[in-house]
Amino acid sequence: MKIKISTEWLSGCSGCHVAVVDLHEKLINLTDSVEFVRVPVLMDEREYPRADVGIVEGAIRSEHDRAACIKMRESVKTLIAFGTCAVYGGPSGVGWLYRGDSVLEKAYGAGMTNAPGEWPDSNAPKLEQSVVPIDEIVTVDRYLPGCPPHPYWIASAITGLLSPEKKSMVQKTVCSRCERTMKKVSPVALQKGNVTAADDTVCFLSQGVVCMGSVTMERCLAQCPNKGVACSGCAGPSTDIITEPHLDMRTMIARRMSMLTGIEEQEIRQYIEDEARTYYAYAMASPVMYKKPAVKIREWAQ
Amino acid sequence: MNNSAPEITIDEKACVGCALCADICPTKVFEYSESDAVPGVVKAHECFGCLSCTEICPATAISHSNIRMSQVFYHDPKALALAKKTGETALVYNVIEEEESLKQAEEDLGMRLLSVASVLKQTLGQSLPAVGTMAGRSLATQLPRYQHPESVEDVLAMIVHMFSGAWEIEPELSDDKLTLTVGKCFIRDLCGREGISLGGDLCVLFYNYLAGYFNKISGIRPRLTKASRGQEQCVYEVKLYKPSS
Repeated sequence: MKIKISTEWLSGCSGCHVAVVDLHEKLINLTDSVEFVRVPVLMDEREYPRADVGIVEGAIRSEHDRAACIKMRESVKTLIAFGTCAVYGGPSGVGWLYRGDSVLEKAYGAGMTNAPGEWPDSNAPKLEQSVVPIDEIVTVDRYLPGCPPHPYWIASAITGLLSPEKKSMVQKTVCSRCERTMKKVSPVALQKGNVTAADDTVCFLSQGVVCMGSVTMERCLAQCPNKGVACSGCAGPSTDIITEPHLDMRTMIARRMSMLTGIEEQEIRQYIEDEARTYYAYAMASPVMYKKPAVKIREWAQ
Repeated sequence: MNNSAPEITIDEKACVGCALCADICPTKVFEYSESDAVPGVVKAHECFGCLSCTEICPATAISHSNIRMSQVFYHDPKALALAKKTGETALVYNVIEEEESLKQAEEDLGMRLLSVASVLKQTLGQSLPAVGTMAGRSLATQLPRYQHPESVEDVLAMIVHMFSGAWEIEPELSDDKLTLTVGKCFIRDLCGREGISLGGDLCVLFYNYLAGYFNKISGIRPRLTKASRGQEQCVYEVKLYKPSS
């Protein structure tokens, strides 16, 4: 008896679907126990056949997204919010900052890419005024953040669904897989605007470079910091940030960097606020962040 | 709660050897050795479960068991559910979810509100409504609002959603008249429990709290023209004064 998997692609970039294909030969092993009944990028299935597991990529941006998400929920037993857009809004969620009307006005009214005033015809799905993660609309059974989630975690998640007794989805931060050494170094100056650091073996925070590894859930095998680029937080906040009302990305980064380097916490926090749009890019549309000071992002960005 | 010593485990694979736990622990439970580059737990019996180490640990490598956790009444259920559904919970929570305890928390909060309101009333007398308005106005600057609502309807829809935990509000708008029907109400339940008649200090305080919030966001001045309160629902009739542009 094979497990039936159905997938849907809303406001996302298809990267999450491609990540499934990135399972390579693991995918072949999977097909012994799994049958894909609907995959928009591979199959010409328009309807929503009944399935055991539904995988939804992308946020809710248009009326089509909303309707498709509800149909997915009705047709599957277990629904997975797949990738950061579905879980937190992700890059699509930055649309939170602007009303749908003004987005359309900018794109079509101002003539950035076309003759000004040529509006899309009525066949295009209507844009909603805002962007929301899918759990604002339907109940989600599992969340798999990541931009995209690393195939290792996709395999773990599917394996976990096939045999629920297997505990495979740990909730640690990116630091837990980072090879760099975190140590106290001083004096260090705050490296503004940098995503790389001079020493490839030492933690970014120790070198005064803002890295989001310690406040980001690890669904990526720490690819970026291990290859010399500071974490940008693409898998969304770590569990403590999600659940503790008094914790916030910028304060936790500032506290840790300050303890490691002696740079004033206030200076680091101020810098992160000035760069707000970068550091909250992946989770700002999520209700999880509503109670954080991140809501001041509009003020910070000015 | 058993009386055995707290157990603290450090996942050595996840640990990055930063020693921040040793720095932050108030009772010096950890000792960091340069040679192992991993902190050791040397005085577990001294741990009193403040969880500072778990909080500061960049890698979520520290877990505790056998510690006495303080009970947490306040947690966003939505956030908790999300955290639970991303994998096995890495953190220890002691969240009060049972109906009974929640009721207890509600009563506890209610009693505090009552005493706050009575202290305010005694010290400020007639200025009580102004305190509510100020609190509401200051809340408006803190609560989430990425997009500025553009119409009165938008503001009202936002308020209904925002305060749904405490009040069931049905707004009706016609021109410059606004009728607010409040169904389920946290304050009314409290008055019922404590045998307080409706329309007292708390009702005044919280009506003005809402009005202050509305005023700060919309720029419109609401003036209460009639309030009728009842055991099932309360109805507030409000006249709106839009700023002359």
